[in-house]
Amino acid sequence: MTSAPSGDGSTGRGLTPADLRHVRFTRASMLHPGYVETEVDRVMHRVAEDLARHMAEKAQLREQVRTLQAQLNGAPAHEPPSEQAVRILASAQQTADNYVAEAEKFSRQVTGEARAEYEEAVRLARENAGAIIQAAQEAAARLTGPAPDGPDQSGGRTVAELEEQVAYLKAFGQACRVQLRSYLEALLSDVENEWGHADPAALPVPARPPARRIPEDADGDRSTTFEANTATENQGGEDAVNGVPAATGTRPA
Amino acid sequence: MDIPAMRANFAKAAATGDEAPLYFYSHLFLSHPETREMFPVSMAHQRDRFFAALGEVVTRVDDLDALVPILRQLGRDHLKFGVLPAHYPAAGASLLATLERFDPEWTPELAKTWAEAYDVVATVMVQGAEEAAGQPAWWDADVVGHERRSLDVAVLRIRPRVRYDHLPGQSLSLETELRPRLWRYYSPANAPRPDGLIELHVKARDGGPVSSALVRSVGIGDVLRLGPPLGHLTVGEDSDRDLLLVAGGMGLAPLKAMVDQVARQGPPRRVDLFAGFRTEDQIYDRADLEQLAREHPWLSVTFAVSDDAVSSLAHGEVGDVVRRAGPWSSREVRVAGPEPMVTATVAGLREDGVPEQRMSSEVFAPSRPGPSVDGEVTE
Repeated sequence: MTSAPSGDGSTGRGLTPADLRHVRFTRASMLHPGYVETEVDRVMHRVAEDLARHMAEKAQLREQVRTLQAQLNGAPAHEPPSEQAVRILASAQQTADNYVAEAEKFSRQVTGEARAEYEEAVRLARENAGAIIQAAQEAAARLTGPAPDGPDQSGGRTVAELEEQVAYLKAFGQACRVQLRSYLEALLSDVENEWGHADPAALPVPARPPARRIPEDADGDRSTTFEANTATENQGGEDAVNGVPAATGTRPA
Repeated sequence: MDIPAMRANFAKAAATGDEAPLYFYSHLFLSHPETREMFPVSMAHQRDRFFAALGEVVTRVDDLDALVPILRQLGRDHLKFGVLPAHYPAAGASLLATLERFDPEWTPELAKTWAEAYDVVATVMVQGAEEAAGQPAWWDADVVGHERRSLDVAVLRIRPRVRYDHLPGQSLSLETELRPRLWRYYSPANAPRPDGLIELHVKARDGGPVSSALVRSVGIGDVLRLGPPLGHLTVGEDSDRDLLLVAGGMGLAPLKAMVDQVARQGPPRRVDLFAGFRTEDQIYDRADLEQLAREHPWLSVTFAVSDDAVSSLAHGEVGDVVRRAGPWSSREVRVAGPEPMVTATVAGLREDGVPEQRMSSEVFAPSRPGPSVDGEVTE
C-alpha cells in the first residue's frame, strides 16, 4: 500500500523531510482512482518544509540550552557557604595569624635586644673615648699649658674623630714638650752664662716663649697669665718657667 | 534608609570584637576564593581595619557629602589590590550574611536597608576607581639606590617606570615582593624631579615585616610596587610666607621634600628646618641637610638631641628648641613626627602666638599600614 517511509530499517531516525518527499503512493484501482496525485504531492511538500523548519528550530534551541547549561556549570556556586565551613576556615585563619604574630614578636624581641646591646656598646665606647680625650687633654695641659680645645667642644663627636683628636693632642703635647725643654735649656744656659751673677730682679721677662705657637684665641689669655705670673712674682728665670704650667688654670672649662 | 536601625545592627556585630570580621572574611573567601590572594597571610590587622573603616562609614552615612570624596579615594586606592567592580557585590553579600549572623532580630527590612546603603558605597567606590582609568592601578618602581645610614635607617632611591606625580609632603603606599600583600605608607623626601627619582627614608621597626625588609633585605635592582599618593600635609603653594619646618625622627622626610620644593619651584622664602633626634648618631641625613644649608642661603638647618649628654648640638625636645629660637608668629609652620612630639610642638607654638590656621601637622610613625578614613596617614 504505502512505500513504507521508514521501512528501510532506520528506526531510530524518525520521519525526515526527505522521507516525505520520496513517498510514492501505489496507484488505486481503475474504479477508485484515489487522491489527485498533484494535490498529494503539494501537501507532502509543505509538510516536508514545515518539518525541516521545526527540526532546525529544535537544533537551535538545543544548542542554546547547552550553552546556558555550560554557563551555569562554569559560574561559581552562589550557594552560601555552610556554617561549618566558615568555622573551619576561621579557625585555620586564626592559627595562621597566631603563627605570624609569634614570628613578629620573636623578631621584635631579638632586634630590640640587639639594638639595646648596640646602643650600650656605643654609649660605653663614647664614654671611654671621652675619658681618653679628657685624660689626654689634662696631660697635654699639664705639659704645655692651656689646651687648644676645651673638653666641652670635643664631647659628642664620633669615636673616629675623638681618636684623631687624641692622636693630635699626643703629638701636640710631644712637640710642646720638646720645644719647651729646648727653650728652657737655652734659657738656663743663658742665665748661667751671662746673667748668672747679676741681680735676679734685673732678669727681663722672656719676650716670646716658643710655646706660643698655639691658636690665637687662647693666646692673649695665656700670655697675660704668663707675664702676670712673672711680673708679680718678679723673680728669676726659673720662676718665670714655673709660670708656664701655672697657666693651666686659665684653660677654658 | 533607616540609619538608626543600621547603626543598632552594626553595633551588635562590632560588639563581638574579632568574631564578626573573622566570619565576614571566611564567608567571603569561601564564596569567592579568588579574593583570598588580595590579602596577606595574616589577616589580624586587616580585620581590625576593615571593621573600623566600616564603622566610620556607618557613622557618617547620613553625611554623604563628606563621605563621597573619602570613598572615591578609597575606591581608587583599592585598584592596587587588584579589586574589580565584580568584587563589590561579592563583598556585599558576605557583609549582609555577617550582619545577619550576629543579629537575632535581623529582618528583611534591615537587609534591604543595608543592601541599599552598601550599593551606594560600592557605586561611589567603583566610580572613584573609574575616574583613575587613565592611571595605572599601581606603579612598578626600580630600586636604584640603597644606603644604610644607621643601624636601622636606610635611604632608598627608587625610579617609577611610569611617570608618578605627587605633592611634597604626601605619602605613598608601597609593597615589596618580599612581603606580599603588605602595603605600608612612606613619604617621599623630595619634590617631583625631572628624572623621576624618589627618595624614601625607611626606619626598620623592631619586628616590622615590611620596614625591616626594606632596610635589611631590599637592594638595588629590586622592584617595589607603589600605590597612588595621598595625604594633606603640603607646603601650601598659595602662600609665600617664610616657613618653619619641625621634624621629629622620620618625620624629616616630608619636610625635606618641602625644602626641595622651595629650592626647585619657589616662591623664594626663608626656610628654617629643625630636626629632632634622640641621639646625635641617629641623625641619619645630616650630611645631606648640611649640604643643602650650604647651597641655599635661605635655608637654615638646626639639629636637636633629646637624650645625648655628650653631644654639642642643641639639647632638648625639638619643640622646645624651636620655641627658644622664636618668635615664629609670622611663619607658615609644618610639623611632622611621632605623636607626642607633634602635639607638644603644636601646642607650644600656639602658645607663642602662631595662628592655628597657619600650622599643619601630621603624625608619622616609622612604618604605617594605612590611612584613616580621613585620608590621614597615621599609624
